[in-house]
Amino acid sequence: MKIKGAFSPDIIAFCCAQSAYQAADTAGSMRISYPENIRVIRVPCVGRVDVLHILRAFERGADGVLVLGCHDEACHHLSGNTRAKNRVQKANTLLQEIGIDGKRVEMFTLAPNQGSRFARIANEVNERIKELGPSPVKSAD
Amino acid sequence: MTNDNVLVIGGGVAGIASASKLADNGFQVYLVEREPIIGGHAASFGCKATETCSQCSVCLVSEKMREVTAKPQISLVVNSEVVRISGSIGDFEVDLLQKPGVVDPEKCIACGICTEVCPCEPKKGIFLPSPEAIPHTYILDRTQCLRFKGAECNVCQDNCPVGAINFEQKPNSKILKVSAVIVATGFEAFDAREKGLLGYGMYSNVLTGLDLERIINGQEWITLPSNGNSPRNIAFIQCVGSRDEYIGHGYCSQVCCKYAMKFAKLLQYQDSEAKVTIFYIDLQTTGKGFGEFYEACKKTIRFIRGIPVEIREISPDELEVKYEDLAKGKIAKENYDLVVLSIGIAPRKDSWDLAKILGINLGNYRFFDTQDTLDSNRTNIDGIFLAGTCHGPKDIPESVAHGIQAASKVIQTLKARTA
Amino acid sequence: MDSELRLGVFLCDCGNTLSKAIDFSTIKTDLENLPDVTYVNISHDLCLETAQKAMQKDIEDKGVNRVVVAACSPELYEKGLISVIQAAGVNPHLLSIANIREQCFWAHPDKTKAAKKATTQIKLALNRARFLEPVEKTRIPVNRDVLVIGGGIVGIEAALELSNLNLKTTLIEKEAILGGKLNQFPNLYPLQVNPEEMLAARLKDITERQNIDVLTSAELIDVNGEVGNFSARIKESNEEVVRNFGAIIFASGYNTQFSSQIYGFELSNNIITQSKLEEILKFSSEVKEIPKSVCFIVDVSGEHSRVSTLSALRNALGIKEKFGSEVCILCRNLKIDGAGLEKLYRDCRNNGVLFIKFDHLPEISKQNGKIKIEVEDVLVSEEQVSISYDLLVVEETSVPPPDSRFLSSALNIGLDTQGFYQENNIHLYPTASNREGIFFAGNCHADLDLMRALTEASNVALNAYQLLAQEKITVEAERVIVDPNKCRFCLTCIRACPHHAIREVEVDHEKMAAQIVDLACQGCGICAVVCPAKAIKCKDGSDEQILSELEPFGEHV
Repeated sequence: MKIKGAFSPDIIAFCCAQSAYQAADTAGSMRISYPENIRVIRVPCVGRVDVLHILRAFERGADGVLVLGCHDEACHHLSGNTRAKNRVQKANTLLQEIGIDGKRVEMFTLAPNQGSRFARIANEVNERIKELGPSPVKSAD
Repeated sequence: MTNDNVLVIGGGVAGIASASKLADNGFQVYLVEREPIIGGHAASFGCKATETCSQCSVCLVSEKMREVTAKPQISLVVNSEVVRISGSIGDFEVDLLQKPGVVDPEKCIACGICTEVCPCEPKKGIFLPSPEAIPHTYILDRTQCLRFKGAECNVCQDNCPVGAINFEQKPNSKILKVSAVIVATGFEAFDAREKGLLGYGMYSNVLTGLDLERIINGQEWITLPSNGNSPRNIAFIQCVGSRDEYIGHGYCSQVCCKYAMKFAKLLQYQDSEAKVTIFYIDLQTTGKGFGEFYEACKKTIRFIRGIPVEIREISPDELEVKYEDLAKGKIAKENYDLVVLSIGIAPRKDSWDLAKILGINLGNYRFFDTQDTLDSNRTNIDGIFLAGTCHGPKDIPESVAHGIQAASKVIQTLKARTA
Repeated sequence: MDSELRLGVFLCDCGNTLSKAIDFSTIKTDLENLPDVTYVNISHDLCLETAQKAMQKDIEDKGVNRVVVAACSPELYEKGLISVIQAAGVNPHLLSIANIREQCFWAHPDKTKAAKKATTQIKLALNRARFLEPVEKTRIPVNRDVLVIGGGIVGIEAALELSNLNLKTTLIEKEAILGGKLNQFPNLYPLQVNPEEMLAARLKDITERQNIDVLTSAELIDVNGEVGNFSARIKESNEEVVRNFGAIIFASGYNTQFSSQIYGFELSNNIITQSKLEEILKFSSEVKEIPKSVCFIVDVSGEHSRVSTLSALRNALGIKEKFGSEVCILCRNLKIDGAGLEKLYRDCRNNGVLFIKFDHLPEISKQNGKIKIEVEDVLVSEEQVSISYDLLVVEETSVPPPDSRFLSSALNIGLDTQGFYQENNIHLYPTASNREGIFFAGNCHADLDLMRALTEASNVALNAYQLLAQEKITVEAERVIVDPNKCRFCLTCIRACPHHAIREVEVDHEKMAAQIVDLACQGCGICAVVCPAKAIKCKDGSDEQILSELEPFGEHV
C-alpha cells in the first residue's frame, strides 16, 4: 500500500571523495537544503562501488540508491566513473528482473564545488523515489 | 648562512603549488597572502562541466588548496604584505606588515553563529568568503559592517563561542629569515570600464568573464542580472584588454577563447534554445582535446570575426551590439540579452611597489621580468624567483606548472650553494 | 594486535551550535552503554589545538584503539585528527568520522530530523569503526637513477636539472647526435637566442657533469618492473644493455609529416614543407636561387596546432631577414597564445609580411612555373583574391615519435587518439602517465612552444627527484591486498588497474597470483570490484566497512 504523503524514502548516496562528497559539503556550507533521508557513504572513487553494494542496499531495505562521481573524463582514476556507470546499468537490469523498478538506482556526475547541483539532484531524486513508493523489499518483510 | 626557509609571496594557485612542492622536499615555507584567504582569483571560479568535464581546471584549485592545510611545513601568513627585504640569497631578512582581520583564523571554528546574528541587510557584515575557504575562517566585510558606518555593534563578538572576534586588532610586523623568495602575486583582470563604449558598469547585462565565474561558483545556472531569467541570446566579445597595443596590452591572455567557449557550451546546456555568438580575432583552440571541443562548438555557436566597438542598452533586458560585418563590409547591429566581455589577464598595478621593495625589474607589458631569455623564473636578483601569472598570462594548470618550476629552481639553486 | 575493540567517541558541538538541536548528553549516555565503547567525550572545538591535545591524552589514558569523531566534514580536519591519533599511538587508519555538520545540521533546516540523522550517522560511524583495519608503513629500497628518453632540448634540460638535484641520469637518444629540433630550427623566435649556441652551451654543460651518462644511437626496447625498480633494456648501436632506474621520463619529441591527401597535391621544388624551408634557411648562404616571393599556408589540416603557427611566423621572419623576399601567410586562426607570440606576429607585420585570413580552404594550382592561390579574404568582404608566389610553404602535421606505439604497448602506458602519449589527467596531472614513476615532458605528449616545454622538463625532473630523494621510499604496506589463496590469476585486476599497480608473482613456488604494488597503488578499489573471486581487499574501504554503513533504515521518520 502506498502512503504517498507520509513516505520518506531511505536513499543511499555513494559519493566519491574527489567530487560528490565535497559537493555535499559545499551544499551544507552554503546552507542549501536537501532531504535528510539521504544518507551519504563516502568512497575513494565511484569505481569502488560494486553491484553487490547496490543490491545489498536494496536487500536491506533502501528505497533508492544514488551513485555520484566525477564528470566524464575527470575521474582521478581514469575509468572509475565509466565503470560505475556500467555497474549502475547492470544493477538497473538485475533489479528489473526481480521486480524492483530499475529507476530506483541512478548515477550522476558533478564537480567538488557544485553544491547547488548536489542539492538539486538530491531533491529531484527524493521526489522521484517518493512517487515510486516504498521498495517492494521493504513491504515484503 | 643558508637556512631551510623559503618565502612565497602570494597564495594563489601558483604560490600554493610552489609552497606545496617545497614542503614535500624538506623546506619550511612561509606562504604570505595579502587577503584573508588563499586561492587567489581561481578560487572564485566555478565548474563549467556540462555532461562532460570541460577541463576548466577549477577543481584543481580546491585540490591544491587542500595540500596546503595537509602540510605542516607550510605556515600560512594571511592578511600580510612584504614591506622590506634585505640580505641576499641564503640569508634574506623579510619584514612583513600584518593587518589582522577582525576574526582570528587560529581561533575561528566556522560555526556560523556570527553571521546568523549579524544585523546587516541585505548583505551580512561578517561571512565565510567561500565554502572551501582556507584558512576556514569567517571574515569581516568593512563595506557592510555597521561599526564602520559609525554604529555601535558588538553582536558577533558577544556571540562568538570561542572568542575569535576582536575589533581592537592592530597591525603588527613580523620578521622572516629565508634563503629564497618566490614571487607569485598573480594578476589583475583587465578593467572593462576602460573600454567605455562597451558599457560595462553601466548596463546590468554586460558582464565580464570573471563575473560569470563568480555567478557559476555561487549558483548552478547563469541568470541575467536584470531580471533573473536564463539568458536566451548571448554574445561573447573576445580580446577585451588583450592583443591591444594601444593600451599597452600587446599580448594574448591565453585563457579567454577557452573560457568563452566553455561558458557558451554551459549556457546551451542550461537552455538548449539559447543562441550564442562569439566575436573574435583569432580563435585560440590549442591544447589536447580542445580542437574537438571547438569543432563541436561550431555546430551550435555562431563565430563572427571582428570585435564590436559599441554596446548600447535598448531596454533593461536588451542590448544592441554594433560591429563591422566583414563579409558585407558594412556596420551591423544585433540585439542580445546578455553580453560577456572576455577580459584578459593584466599585470597588477601595484607590481611596481613590490618591484621596488625587492629590487626586481618589470619587463614586457609590466609583468615581472626574468634575467635570462630561457629561464622563466629567475629574476635579476639571485634567490628571487617568479611563479605564475605575475610573470605573464597563463591558465590554471600552467600556473601550477610554473609554480612547481619555481620551486625546482629554488631547490637546485640552494643545493648548488651548499655543495 | 589487540583483538578487543576499545572505541573512543569524540563528539564536537562546534562552539555549542550543534547542541542547540542535538542532545549530545543523551547520545553520550547511550554510547557509553555499548560494550565496546570505552570512552565518550563532548568537545566544543575539536579543530583547535587545545581540544586536540586533550583528545590525544584521553586516547592514551583510556587505552582507546579505534577512534570515532562526530564533527565537521572530514575534508577539513581528517588529516589533522589522524596526526592526533597517531601521536596517541593509534594506527592512522583507525579513525572514522561522522559528518554531522556540513552533511547534517547545516543542510537540514528541520532540527528534529537533523538530530535524528546525526544520531544515525554516529551509529554508522561506529559500525564502520568496528571494521577498520590498521595499515603499517614500510620502507622500500629504490634505485635512484633516472632514465631520460630523448636527447632534444627537453630531455637535455630534464637531465641537467636532475643532475643539479644530484640524481644520476642516463640520457638516451636515437640519433647519433643530441639536439633534436634544435639542430633543425634556423631561429628560435620569439626568443632572441641562437639555437646552435644554445645547444652548444648545454652540451658543454652535460659533458662537464659526472652524473649524466649520454647514450646516442640508442633506443629503449622494453621495461620491466615498476616505480623505484624499473629494469630497462636499451639497444645501443647493435648491443643490448640492461640498466636499472627508479623513474623514467619520456622526452622523445615529435616528428612532422606532410599529407598530400589533405592538400590534394604533392610536394615539388616550389611546394615545400616548413622542415625543408628550415633546412634552406639554416644554410641560406648556400642558396643559389632566392625565391622572390614566398607564401605560407597554415591551419589547413584541422590540427589546431600551436607549433604550426609558430613555425610559419618564425620562418617568415627568417625569410625576411635572410632573403628579403615578399612574404604572405594564409591562415584561419593564428595561434598566438604563448609568451611573445603576439609580438612575433606584429614583428612579422612590421617587416612587411602580409596576412590573409580565410574560412574556406584556398584553391592552389600551378601557373607559369609559379604557385597560384585563390582565396576568400574574410577580412575584406570575403573578396576573392588571386595571388601568385614563387614558393609555397605548407604546414606539416605533428605526429608522435615513431616508436611510441610500440613503447606504449610494451610499457602499458596510454596513447591518445592521435597516438601521442596520454597524460594521466590533462589538467590535474599533465606530465604524469597512468603509471607511477613514468613521466612525459614536451611535445611527445602535447603541442607546446619552447618555454612551456622547458617548464615541463623542470616539472618532471622535480617529480622524479621527489620520488627518489631518498634511498628508501616510505609507503603504506598492503593497503590493498590480494589473497593468493583465492586468486585465480585471471589477470582481470591487472588489466583493470588504471595505475598499472598490480604485478604477477609466484607464490610458494607453486602458483602464480596477482600482487599489488604498494608504491604505485592509489587505493581506488577498482581491482577489488572487478575480481571475480573477491580475492582483493581494500583495508581503507573494505566491503565490510561499506556495507556496515547501510543499516539501519527508517530512523529518520
